[in-house]
Amino acid sequence: MKFADFVCREAILAELAAVDKEGAIREMVRALCKAGKVEPGEFESIVKAILKREELGSTGIGRGVAVPHTKHPSVDRLIGTVAVSHTGVDFTSLDGEVVHLFFLLVSPPDRPGDHLRALENISRQLRNEAFCRFLKQTKNAEDIQVLLDEADNNQFGS
Amino acid sequence: MPDLKLVRMMVVTDPIGLHARTAVGVADVVRRSQSTVTLMKDDRRASGTEVLQMLSLVVYPGESVVVEAAGPDAAAVLDALQPIMAGDFDEQARENT
Repeated sequence: MKFADFVCREAILAELAAVDKEGAIREMVRALCKAGKVEPGEFESIVKAILKREELGSTGIGRGVAVPHTKHPSVDRLIGTVAVSHTGVDFTSLDGEVVHLFFLLVSPPDRPGDHLRALENISRQLRNEAFCRFLKQTKNAEDIQVLLDEADNNQFGS
Repeated sequence: MPDLKLVRMMVVTDPIGLHARTAVGVADVVRRSQSTVTLMKDDRRASGTEVLQMLSLVVYPGESVVVEAAGPDAAAVLDALQPIMAGDFDEQARENT
């Protein structure tokens, strides 16, 4: 699976304003709403579902990366967005570091395979130091989209 | 007491498979232990402290992973990892999402 298969380019956020976990999640889900990928009436339900899962264990996987996610019946295919915080967000990560890169995923309840394949793609690309570094340095959504496209085209050699 | 090297096969029964939270849970346990832990699926290997490596294994629900632990607390580490790999800590979330 490639980034283009699940990342909604209209919902990419190049500079998160939020500095805490709930604020960051709300901002990303709101971007999916504005992009028309999530019904406005489902906004609060999706935010709460993601936060509830975070309570059981953070998806801050270390190295400045978090992958907040949930299953939700309102979506019929895997959707996601990418967000960058230059300030960093306290996400109670595994290594205690603030998070700069976010990959938020919402998947249909009956499609766990898509979620795992998206995670595999994200983790494979993030293992490339250059991809991570460039992503953290991006200044606008277009730059992020270009990087994701380059990763999809294996231009980082992973 | 000499270090032990133990191997155990664990089935990932979480309905999403081995996902981010599972990998973080594994890494958290392993980092606090005195053992070196490696997860193996097919011909792929992942360090038990490296979340990105574990996610690259792509373990679907119902699939098994071979977990190798080497160190003075190898047995205790494997015992601690078993429920995490099974996804038992996710029970409440499963009911609500």
